[in-house]
Amino acid sequence: MQAIDKVAVIGAGVMGAGIAAQVANTGLPVVLLDIVPDGAKDRNVVASSALQKMLKTSPAPLMHPRNAKHIQVGNVEDHLQWLSDCDLVIEVVIEQLEIKQGLYRKIEQHRKPGSIVTSNTSTIPLAHLVEGLPKSFQRDFAITHFFNPPRYMRLLELVAGADTRPEAIAALRTFGDRLLGKSVVDCKDTPGFIANRIGILWLGAAVRFAFEIGLTVEEADAVIGKPMGIPKTGVFGLLDLVGIDLQPHVEQSMLATLPEGDLYREIHRPSTYIERMIEEGYIGRKGKGGFYRLNRSKGGKVKEARDLETGEYRPAVAPSLASVRAGRQGMRALVEHPDRGGRYAWRVLSHTLSYAAALVPQIADDVHAVDQAMKNGYAWKRGPFEMIDQLGPKWFAQQLAKDGLAVPPLLEQVGDGSFYRLEDDRLQYFGTDSAYHDVQRADGVLLLSDIKRGAERVAGNRSASLWDIGDEVLCLEFHSKMNSIDEGIVAMISKAIKIVPSKGYKALVIHNEGDNFSVGANIGLGLFAANIAAWLQITESVKQGQYAYKALKFAPFPVVGAPAGMALGGGCEVLLHCDALQAHAETYMGLVEVGVGLVPAWGGCKEMLLRWSNNPRHPKGPMPAVSKVFETVATATVAKSAEEAKSLLYLRPGDGITMNRDRLLAEAKAMALAMAKDYAPPEPRELQLPGSAGETAMTLVLNDFRRAGKATDHDVTVGKILAHVLAGGNTDPTAAVSEDKLLTLERNAIVSLLKTPQTLDRIEHMLETGKPLRN
Amino acid sequence: MPSYTAPLRDMRFVYHELFDAGDITALPGCEDATADLVDPVLDEAARLAENELFPLNHSGDREGCRYQDGAVTTPAGFKAAYEQYAQGGWIGLACDPQYGGQGMPATLNVLLEEMACSANVSFATYIGLTRGAYRAIRAFASEALKDRYLPKMVSGEWSGTMCLTEPQCGTDLGLIRARAEPAENDGYRISGTKIFITAGEHDLTTNIIHLVLARLPGAPAGIKGISLFLVPKFLPTEDGEAGERNAVTCAGIEDKMGIKASATCVINLDGAMGWLVGEPHKGMRAMFTMMNEARLGVGIQGLGLGVSAYQAAVDYARERQQGRALGGTQYPEQPADPIMVHPDIRRMLLTMRAFTEGARALTTWVARQIDVRDHSEDPQARKEADDLVQLLTPLVKSYLSEVGHDAAQMAVQVYGGHGYIRDNGVEQYARDARIAMIYEGANGIQALDLVGRKLPAHTGRYLRRFFHPVQAWIDANTADQALQPFVLPLAKAFGRLQLATGQVAQAGLKDPNEAGAASSEYLKLFALVALAFLWARMAKIALAKREGDDSGFYDAKLMTARFFVERVLPQSGSLFATIMAGGNTMMSFPDEAF
Repeated sequence: MQAIDKVAVIGAGVMGAGIAAQVANTGLPVVLLDIVPDGAKDRNVVASSALQKMLKTSPAPLMHPRNAKHIQVGNVEDHLQWLSDCDLVIEVVIEQLEIKQGLYRKIEQHRKPGSIVTSNTSTIPLAHLVEGLPKSFQRDFAITHFFNPPRYMRLLELVAGADTRPEAIAALRTFGDRLLGKSVVDCKDTPGFIANRIGILWLGAAVRFAFEIGLTVEEADAVIGKPMGIPKTGVFGLLDLVGIDLQPHVEQSMLATLPEGDLYREIHRPSTYIERMIEEGYIGRKGKGGFYRLNRSKGGKVKEARDLETGEYRPAVAPSLASVRAGRQGMRALVEHPDRGGRYAWRVLSHTLSYAAALVPQIADDVHAVDQAMKNGYAWKRGPFEMIDQLGPKWFAQQLAKDGLAVPPLLEQVGDGSFYRLEDDRLQYFGTDSAYHDVQRADGVLLLSDIKRGAERVAGNRSASLWDIGDEVLCLEFHSKMNSIDEGIVAMISKAIKIVPSKGYKALVIHNEGDNFSVGANIGLGLFAANIAAWLQITESVKQGQYAYKALKFAPFPVVGAPAGMALGGGCEVLLHCDALQAHAETYMGLVEVGVGLVPAWGGCKEMLLRWSNNPRHPKGPMPAVSKVFETVATATVAKSAEEAKSLLYLRPGDGITMNRDRLLAEAKAMALAMAKDYAPPEPRELQLPGSAGETAMTLVLNDFRRAGKATDHDVTVGKILAHVLAGGNTDPTAAVSEDKLLTLERNAIVSLLKTPQTLDRIEHMLETGKPLRN
Repeated sequence: MPSYTAPLRDMRFVYHELFDAGDITALPGCEDATADLVDPVLDEAARLAENELFPLNHSGDREGCRYQDGAVTTPAGFKAAYEQYAQGGWIGLACDPQYGGQGMPATLNVLLEEMACSANVSFATYIGLTRGAYRAIRAFASEALKDRYLPKMVSGEWSGTMCLTEPQCGTDLGLIRARAEPAENDGYRISGTKIFITAGEHDLTTNIIHLVLARLPGAPAGIKGISLFLVPKFLPTEDGEAGERNAVTCAGIEDKMGIKASATCVINLDGAMGWLVGEPHKGMRAMFTMMNEARLGVGIQGLGLGVSAYQAAVDYARERQQGRALGGTQYPEQPADPIMVHPDIRRMLLTMRAFTEGARALTTWVARQIDVRDHSEDPQARKEADDLVQLLTPLVKSYLSEVGHDAAQMAVQVYGGHGYIRDNGVEQYARDARIAMIYEGANGIQALDLVGRKLPAHTGRYLRRFFHPVQAWIDANTADQALQPFVLPLAKAFGRLQLATGQVAQAGLKDPNEAGAASSEYLKLFALVALAFLWARMAKIALAKREGDDSGFYDAKLMTARFFVERVLPQSGSLFATIMAGGNTMMSFPDEAF
């Protein structure tokens, strides 16, 4: 395998900088070059300002600010010789063929022989890019098409040219998959590759039909969003997000390259309505507003939507379409509904899905690649072929015919069948050869969803399940609503602790494939119990959680947590009690309880105190650790990456980070198995804590924040109760505080906070709006 | 014949002592409601109820309303009594002074309502409907409509109705067919048939203001497509008097089981002119304002009838002589002892007394919260008060209508065979009380409202306004030895209510049938605990004041409180057991096996 140990990115615009940042996130050195502007004093100014901007952009392109040090900035006039030790050069400059080719010729002069060169072009065919360039260049050249923002969008489209070396493609695939953490999809050298080819037609159809059928923007987005499994921005919200002004460029470049007779040419209609919006500066969120805007003129914040007829803004109204409600029964119910929402859904889907079906094998070898691209590039829950399967391929074909739309050959080929099927519990897709083929997972990819298919769970309830993931490792999966921790999960933790030793398992992995590992305890249940003053039951359930987490920590077998996405509050605490973590790079951990007026009470305070007082790099004495935990918890600090979680000690130094989410479970399992050899559970520890003097010190800090207007009265109340727990209560600084004593302090603290109306108001507000209340 | 004496001593106790009326005068707009004003108002209201309304109760029932050629004649004496009532300013007593009301607190008004209902519940319906319509118009109508209609309604010159029900649609208002077409003068032409319209037509006022639910053209189907319209019987002239007749007519009145002097009308709208109240399609919101007011009013009807029934039963039990006391003769000079000596008669009398006095405390508590909600300057206090009113409204409507019904049945029982004879008057209470369990949302609907809407609202926030004060009161008073007989049973029943609430909420999340199956018993359990809380608080006051009180009021209060906690509250145990049993036996029973 050709190694990629150093990378150059040429072009430091939004995409180039984002790609460079993601390379830096892997720890590899990366060179970032751009042009020298006329008369610039600092000849690296473009690249170096891009680097500065990276540190300020939100969401952050860098997983940790210190990753910036991996990026060396320069310019294409003075520093092309830096390419001489780069294994990969990624070109991300303006979409103009002559400029790109000119650059390639220069690269060719400086690059290391056999190094790989790629372009991030989204519109220019590979064949055009390499035309006239030396064979040596053509052999080493490919397209790597990233999606914006490169750190967060999982799709990487990979296009090989006719002459590209297979080893180069293999090296790129491995690099994209394992290091950058991308879902790499092989595409053909066709306009827009896969995702944008289908995505642009989908957008065009969704906008045009909304105008034609006469839906409001809210209605269109409500139909497009949840019922189709598409992010809730729908179509108009998405245009606002990406910038309405970008659309004409995208459309033109597609029209310039698409073959004659392509369905997009038929769908596309220049819209004077949108042209006028762009002219007047209504280009979306970055402009004066778009199809939606927040009107702050009357003091408050009023979400407004644009009338598609008059072009006037009016307060947004929650759409009430029977078709959307019907859509909860499935997509078929949605598209068959006679109201305008149902008719709209059908017209958008009939065009989009038949287009996708007509493009295989033209743009991709198989339907699975298309589905993967749409799911990872446009964040659709289901790919086009999965959607067709939901509608029923035969029914879909009949309806197309009824509407006078062309029925793609592939759809006729699949006939009564479906694009996916299960064969002996293996997932298979329908190939263009009319045979079914196993969906192949790359080496080292282990998906819980694959394991679950056809398997019987070892144990389970409504909120959690235990699965045998092979090699005598058990996996605990959460599946409650938003994976919030409730009685069922607590019960299943206790069950796992019994089952692992009794049924001959060696280790436990805690993992799930939800968007978020866990958003925390089910505070709705807590709020209801607090509202009916059920203090004993609340105390009891806090205790149950504490016992379960404690039992997890001291279990006679290794427990490895494998989180991805958010792991907050009680979801963070369960991870703090694992022996080790193998975290996805995009894991966002935090003890955020103070946001809802609570303190961590399932051992979170205790575990963080243990970690910080154990930290060899920290000053001695009881106070430094306490201060550090107080600072983290009192401000509800959430790590914005697994790497940042390490700095906050949510992750221990020895914990692993996996870039590609699909590889997370396999790596966690390997870690658990490695630990299972001569495993000894940890010993309970005692802590020296500062007692009331420490509590006073933290209270002073709170009072300063209050005076400075940075904390509310209730922030201070919550902060003081947190300080009391972290200080070890009224302990004598010379005495040792046991873990159990800390748990009692946590429990008393949370119950006393649940008795305050301000905390209950915070919880209610969070449940109803999803946002914290500052009271 | 029964008699009625307004229970003024107990009303003053509840108003001044239990809910510390001093606080009411601290509310903006209620400054005048001081004791030296409130007490004479109560006296005068009592006089009116006892001397003017009560004498018309039995005759009104005998005579009933008469319908002829679209006109309804109320029984003899009603019109004169109504005029006295209106001229005395009683109808607008608690209404906004801006529209000619007296601005008195709702806390006072519920006591007057109770007296009116005790004295003559049919008569009270005419007043009650006007109040409901007043509230909806005031909360949702345009300024022009308010200025035009409210002063006349507040003064009692004009009355109000609420026109919801149609032949095909009772509880399920989503089925409404009445239509409204846009017309001249920003108005609408409304057509349709409404039934069961209380006070829909009568001879008491010069005009009748109907609030009508109807659909606009192109309205969404179901409950979200209903709008509320104001439709006067006579269109007001320029100078605001009743003018041209509107196309709204009474096509007949119902021949009913009870409240015979209250006209229950079929109302036809034939392109009648009307005006929108509130926003298009948002009629249910405005309707609920009216409805909540009306639901409290129906609960008070139950309370009022319960009080009359209790008084009648006590009088009869004192006079009627039959048999001898089980423990030995009590009145040897008489041929037989009064039946009051018998345990089972005493059981009924004290049950009626404990329920009605507890119910009075409950309605007054809710009214007190309404005053805070409507007058307080503190938004948090307003929100908390509104939460509690929302929570307790189904309890008041449902439980108190049952209190009234049960008390009336007991009064008939105390009277024995004579209770069954119309001339003796108590069977009228039994008939009049029956409707309160049905109209303004049948009691089963109230129970669903409690478990389906009020419990889950804001994840139980309404519940907090009840559970936290009760828990705090228990905590604060457990150490008080003298209060033990009250605090301990309260704490026990409260614990059951907490568990049942958790059970109903959780089971209901998984299966709405489970919440529905538990709902009626749950509402009863909740109401019992609410009464127990109020009884315990009343007992605490009575304990503190009984020394040196020669009237016997506090001793009686204390004994009634003990009767309640010892002989009534234990029902919480059986209700709890029923709730926890779940609904499976009901829901799995095959339809065809019935």
